[in-house]
Amino acid sequence: MADNTQRNNIKLHTLDRFREINSTFPKTSQLLEHKRRGKKVFGWLCTYSPEEIMHAADILPIRITGYSQETELDEGNAYLYVNNCSFSRSCLQLGLKGEYGFLDGVVGGSTCDGARRLFDLWRNYIGTPFHHVLTVPRKYTEKAHALYYHEVAQFKKHLEDFLGFEITDEALHKSIELYNESRKLLRELSDFRKLDSPPITGAETMEVLNASFHMPKEIFNQWLKSLLEEISASGNSHTGRARIMLIGSVLTNPEFIKSIEKQGGLVVTDELCTSTRYWGDPVLLEGAKSPLEAISRRYLNNFPCARMFPSDERFNRIIDFALDFKVDGVISQIIRYCVPYCHDLPLLTKRLKAQGIPTLALDVEYGTPGSGQIQTRVQAFLEMLEAKRK
Amino acid sequence: MTSAEQGNSKIKAIIRACRLIMRMNQALPEARKSEAMYYQMLINYFTRLLNARENGDFVAAHTVFFPAELIYAMDMVPMHAETTTWMTALFTGECSDILAAGAELGLAYEICTPHRGLAGAFALGVLPRPDVMLWSNMVCDNTAKSGELIMEICNCPGFFIDHPFKDSEYERNYLVGEMEDMVHFLEEKSGRKMDWDKLSEIVARMDRQIELVREVNELRKAVPTPFHSQGFLELVSSDYLFPGQPEAIEYLETLKQELADAVKEGKGAVSNERFRLMTLFLPPMHLMAFLEKISQEYGAVSVVEPFFTYWGEGRLDPTKPLESVAKKSYMIPEMRMYGPMDERALNSIVDCAKQYKVDGAIYYADVGCRHTCATIKLFKDTLNNIDVPVLTLDCDVVDPTATSEEEMGDKLEQFFELLEDR
Repeated sequence: MADNTQRNNIKLHTLDRFREINSTFPKTSQLLEHKRRGKKVFGWLCTYSPEEIMHAADILPIRITGYSQETELDEGNAYLYVNNCSFSRSCLQLGLKGEYGFLDGVVGGSTCDGARRLFDLWRNYIGTPFHHVLTVPRKYTEKAHALYYHEVAQFKKHLEDFLGFEITDEALHKSIELYNESRKLLRELSDFRKLDSPPITGAETMEVLNASFHMPKEIFNQWLKSLLEEISASGNSHTGRARIMLIGSVLTNPEFIKSIEKQGGLVVTDELCTSTRYWGDPVLLEGAKSPLEAISRRYLNNFPCARMFPSDERFNRIIDFALDFKVDGVISQIIRYCVPYCHDLPLLTKRLKAQGIPTLALDVEYGTPGSGQIQTRVQAFLEMLEAKRK
Repeated sequence: MTSAEQGNSKIKAIIRACRLIMRMNQALPEARKSEAMYYQMLINYFTRLLNARENGDFVAAHTVFFPAELIYAMDMVPMHAETTTWMTALFTGECSDILAAGAELGLAYEICTPHRGLAGAFALGVLPRPDVMLWSNMVCDNTAKSGELIMEICNCPGFFIDHPFKDSEYERNYLVGEMEDMVHFLEEKSGRKMDWDKLSEIVARMDRQIELVREVNELRKAVPTPFHSQGFLELVSSDYLFPGQPEAIEYLETLKQELADAVKEGKGAVSNERFRLMTLFLPPMHLMAFLEKISQEYGAVSVVEPFFTYWGEGRLDPTKPLESVAKKSYMIPEMRMYGPMDERALNSIVDCAKQYKVDGAIYYADVGCRHTCATIKLFKDTLNNIDVPVLTLDCDVVDPTATSEEEMGDKLEQFFELLEDR
C-alpha cells in the first residue's frame, strides 16, 4: 500500500476557496480588494513580527514568502549569494521582480542571519515606503521580555508616526480577539489530526495556512469555521502506514507534504513556522499590564524557533506534540544554509531517540515538491517505521 | 592517549610552532621587535592554558567576540575556542580530521567550517575540556548556536550572552544585565568572586589598547603605508586573546613606534607600493604566507580592514567597568556587520576608502559565512559608487581544500592588472 487510504471521502468545498487565494499569490484578490479601498498592506518576514499591531492600524499584514514551488533565483542569488537559504533568496527574488510592489511597509526581526540580511537588502534595493526591524531577544527571561516589550512599543510608535494617528488600546483589543480566534480555529483544525484516522491531510492543512497569510483574518476566520463544520459533517478519514511529524525550516509547498502522504506517511502534526509555530499560543490578556504587553509576551514566549535559547524549550515542545499526536516518526526538512536548525539537529535527534522516536533528516531547498531522492528516502523511512511497529 | 593528554599535545604543538616562527623571524635582518613580542604573547597564552589543570586554574572556553575582560578579571584562564581550534589545525595540519569529527556529530556542511570544526575539536579532545563554556550571538547564528552542543560534548555548564541587535541605551542596558547574570553564574560555578577593581584596571587598559590601534591605523594612512598586508591579524588577535592585558599594550606601543619610525623614514611595508587595498573579511589562514608574497611581488598592501581594525567611536570609562565592557561590544569593528546594515554601516566603508586612499578592495567571500556574503553586492555597489573596484574571492577561511594558491594568485594578478590599467 503506497497511498493514504481514503474511505469514501467527500470533497471539502471550502478548501477550494483557500486554494483559489493561493493560486493568485502574491497578488491575491483579497489583498487587491483591501488596496482598492485605499488601505495599506504590510509584509512581515518572520513570525516574531507582531501582526496585531499592524492590524489595529487598519493595515492588512501579509507574510512575505517565495512562491510555494521551486523558482528561478537568478536575482536572489546575485544579491544574497548562494550560501543564504533559498527561502530568503526566493523572497528577495519576488521583491526584486516587483511582485511585492503593492506593499506599503516591511517588518522584520533580528531572528536569523538570513532574515536580517533579507531585510537589509530589501531596504536598500526595493522601494517599499516603510521599514522596521525589531530586536528579538533569544532568551525568555524577564529582562528579555522587557527588552522585547520596549521593541514592540518602538515599532508601534514608528508606525503611528508613519500613519499620523494613534493605535488605541481598544483597537489592539479587537485585533487580539480576532487573531486569537484564528489561532483557536487553527488549533481545532489541528485537533482533527489527532484522530486515528484524521479527516484532513497535512497537505490540505498547509493549503489552509498558506491562505491565512494572504487574506484578512476577518474573512479567513469565517471560511475556516465553514471548513471545520464541513469536516465534522464529512465523516472523511485518512489512514496510512505511519503517523509523521514534520519539523524544521519554513515550508509552504503542500506538494512536499503530499509526496510523503502519497507514500502512506500520514503527516499529523508539525513544528513549522508556517503552521503550528504560527498559530501556536494565544495572546493572553489576563495578567498583562496592557494589550501591548500581552502581545509582546506572546510573541517571545510562542512555540520557539531554533534561534532561541535554551534549545530544550523547543525540543520539549516538539516531544510533547509528537506524543500528543502519537507519531511514529519525525521527518526533519531543513533548507540548506538554515543554520539554526542545522545546529539543533544532532541534539534534537538524540532527545527524540531517547523517547523512542526515529528521525529522518532531509536537506531540501525551499519550494521543493519532495520528488526523486527525497521520495526514496521517505519510502525507506516509512518501511523502517512499519517494521519497528511490527 | 587520554583526551586530556591529546588536548595538551595539540596545545604544545601551537607553542612549538609559535617559538619556531619567532626564532625564524628574529633571524631576519629587519625583524620587527613587536612581532617577536606578539609571538611571545601567544606562547604565554597557550602555556597558561597548557598548565591550567596542574595549576588548579579555572578554564573558561569562549567563542569569538566574547567579553573576555570578565574572564581575566575573575582570574580564570580563557580559551578562545575558535582561535585555539584553528591554530591547532593550521600548525598540525589536522583540519580535515577536525571537520570530519564535526560532521560525525551530525553537523551539516552548511554550518561554516570555523564552527563545525569547533564541535569536532572538542569531540576529538583536540581542545582541553573547559570548566565552563561561554558564548554569545556575536556575530552570527553559528556563534549563537555553537555552545549547547559543546556543553553536551564536554559535559560542562555554560552561559549564553544574548547580545541585542541594535544599538540603543535600552539595548546596552540589557547587555549589561546579561553580563551581570554571567558574572553571577561564573561566581557560582567557580567559587571565585569578581574582582571589580581588577576589571576597572582592565577596562582602563582596554581603552588605551583601542586608542593604540587607532593610532596605528593613523600611521597606516601614510603613503607608502608602513604595516605589511597580513599584519592586521596581529591587531585582531591582540583584542581576541588579550583584551586589556598589559602585554597587549606593550606590544602595541612597540608596534606604533616602529611604524612611526618607518613613516618618518618614508619606508613602506612593500618596496614599491603600487596598490593600496581594503580587505573585507578574512583571507584563508593557510594562504597567509602566499598572500604576503603576492603583496610584496605586486606592491599591493592592505591599508584598512573596516570590519577588523577600524574601531567605532567612543572611550571606555574605568569607573563604570561593566557598562564599558558592554559599550566596547558595540565599538568593535565587527559590530558594523551585526546590527542593521544601514547608512551608518555603509558610510563607514566609504569613509575608510577615502581616508586610506584605497585603490581597490578585496572581498574574501567565505563560502560558509552567510551574514558576510549576503553583503557582497551591497558593498560592491557602495564602493563602485565612489569608483573603488572590488574583487570577490570565493574561499574558506580554514579549509585548505576550498581554494588553491594558483587560483587565488591568478585572480589577484588579473585584479592588479585592472587596477594598473586605471
